[in-house]
Amino acid sequence: MNALARLLAHPGIWRGRSLTRIDTLSSGFPELDARLAGGGWPKVGLVEILATHLGSGELRLLLPLLAAVSQQPQARWCTWIAPPLSPYAPALAARGVNLSRILVVRAPQGPQWAPEWATEQALISGACDVVLTWITQPLKPRIVRRLQLATQRGRTLAFLLRPWSSRVAREPSHALLRLGVEPQSHGNRSGMRLSILKSRGGATGEWWVDLEAAQAAAGV
Amino acid sequence: MAAAASLQLPLAVSPAGSPPPVGPPGDQPGQHQRVPALPQLWLGVHLPQPDRALLQRLAVLAQRFTPRVSLEPPDGLVLEVQGSLALFGGAAQLYRAFRAGCHAASAAPVLTLAPTPLAALAGARSGVAFKVLDQQHLVSAVSVLPLVALRWPPQLLQRLAKLGVYRVGQALRLPRAGFARRFGREPLQMLDQLVARSADLRAPFRVPERFRAKRQFVREREDHAQILQALQPLLKQLGEFLEARQCGITRLTCRLRHRNDLHTDCVIRLAQPEAAAARFLEWFAERLARISLPGPVRSLELRSGELLSRAPVHESLWQPGEHGGGGAAGSLPGSLEFIERLRMRLGELAVHGLICQDSHCPEGASRALSPADPDFRHVAFSSRAQVKTQAPARPLWLLDEPQLLREQQGWPQLDGPLQLRHGPERIESQWWEGHGVARDYYHATDVHGIAVWVFRERQPPHRWFLHGLSG
Repeated sequence: MNALARLLAHPGIWRGRSLTRIDTLSSGFPELDARLAGGGWPKVGLVEILATHLGSGELRLLLPLLAAVSQQPQARWCTWIAPPLSPYAPALAARGVNLSRILVVRAPQGPQWAPEWATEQALISGACDVVLTWITQPLKPRIVRRLQLATQRGRTLAFLLRPWSSRVAREPSHALLRLGVEPQSHGNRSGMRLSILKSRGGATGEWWVDLEAAQAAAGV
Repeated sequence: MAAAASLQLPLAVSPAGSPPPVGPPGDQPGQHQRVPALPQLWLGVHLPQPDRALLQRLAVLAQRFTPRVSLEPPDGLVLEVQGSLALFGGAAQLYRAFRAGCHAASAAPVLTLAPTPLAALAGARSGVAFKVLDQQHLVSAVSVLPLVALRWPPQLLQRLAKLGVYRVGQALRLPRAGFARRFGREPLQMLDQLVARSADLRAPFRVPERFRAKRQFVREREDHAQILQALQPLLKQLGEFLEARQCGITRLTCRLRHRNDLHTDCVIRLAQPEAAAARFLEWFAERLARISLPGPVRSLELRSGELLSRAPVHESLWQPGEHGGGGAAGSLPGSLEFIERLRMRLGELAVHGLICQDSHCPEGASRALSPADPDFRHVAFSSRAQVKTQAPARPLWLLDEPQLLREQQGWPQLDGPLQLRHGPERIESQWWEGHGVARDYYHATDVHGIAVWVFRERQPPHRWFLHGLSG
């Protein structure tokens, strides 16, 4: 029994549902935390977020994490790669994000510009805590796998933000987690429908998130 | 006095053939301090129009005449030429050579000669032909100069003018003790320096140092790997050069020369001063891979930009996490390297930080901060969190340009009618100057349920615009 416990404590071994060993960061959304393995976002790894529209709530979903990470005393960069629009500094600052840790990588479309390359550079540099990458074009599973491996090298949490098409949803995923986000208002409250499509070691599910309440709870 | 007699320059006040001074200079009346033992001769340069860049060029030119050059910004320059007179064959020849050099640099400054730097400058500023070669004529020569040429504060000049003192000679005749009491020690000190009663120490001008190295190939090289290999020893030299000076550079040019006087320039511009040879090599590899060369390369030349001081990078004694060890992201090894690598590949504007700006206009409140900006280092390395909590709700995404919305019976449309939820928030700025904004902002939801930020113009034609997404 003792030997078995020791064996199970080995960092290379993970068990289906009780991934208690991984380091996690709270997502700031209790319902999401409850379903994720370890009770939050993994500290290292690749997470895919599929959104039906730009502005579905995917960024507000990540805000509590960005605020918490960027305010750590030894925070590394939070790098945004190929954001579709300009991130608005006053709004980020107002929700507790430390702007001095934010780095934005945006380049005009051209042969040199490949968000995947920039993402990999950011991941392996070891200089980033969080990397957010917006990719609209189809991604080969091989590349997703490669990025997932790169997160291990730099000890980084990476988010791939992709459009939620039926094609993408059918693709196998090499990410630790795959979430789907769809905008949905209930009455006068703006919110989103959040689905966990894949979760290594966690539960799947689908529920409505009141983003206004979340924002109010964050003290804004 | 032979030198002065043979000189064919018009001397302002020097009766030719006057006898040499008798006895030690300290015997002269009014002499309180010993005259410096070595005679000096200063060439004063005054630019009628202040031009710092031109002054810098002339200072570099002056290095050909003497190492003792000092700047008097924004429009003056003095150089001590006594030691170089023999080399040029006398003061007249040196003067002409310098004037020719100035003309070649398309400058026409006023030039003077005097035994003290201040006299040379004051003479040049007053614009008269002022050439005094020996000290005994100095006092009489400077006496006619107006006091304005000394650039004293205007109040001081006004007070002296009330006494009827306009010229240097009149000021020199005032009693020393009284002068010091009424006008301060500094003007008195300047008067002493003007007539060589006390030493005038000036900071020497140094030509900005740069690195330059060249390498000729025995055989022409075509392959990128070979060119990089040839570049390696030069970069090593550069690294040692910079290390010895504790400096870094932000600009490095590698000129690849081909046949027929053709050349290709490969320029590296960095956001922060850098000195490590290995990193330059990596960046050149990145750059060279993207350049197509017009032909084989015959020689290489490496030229650095200006040397900048560099904060030495050292590893923290404590590991991150213990005793407050480890620093902010900017001080982590590799954190700036990664930024430079992205900039090398994607261009200088591709990577930026974010900063809030005080502005009423929503577009002006968020600014991209280039890593080359001095503020970037400041912001990235400060441990102070830049967090603002008291602010009205703003969207996380802002459109670069507000997008005009269709209207149906006065309601804004975005794929369908928008549902206005909060608002209006009235934002007005500088409309009185004609280029400002006067808008009513609303938080709204579109038919898909996406939270958006829209505004309506307050002035006719009252159009609706989409300006942001909540994210």
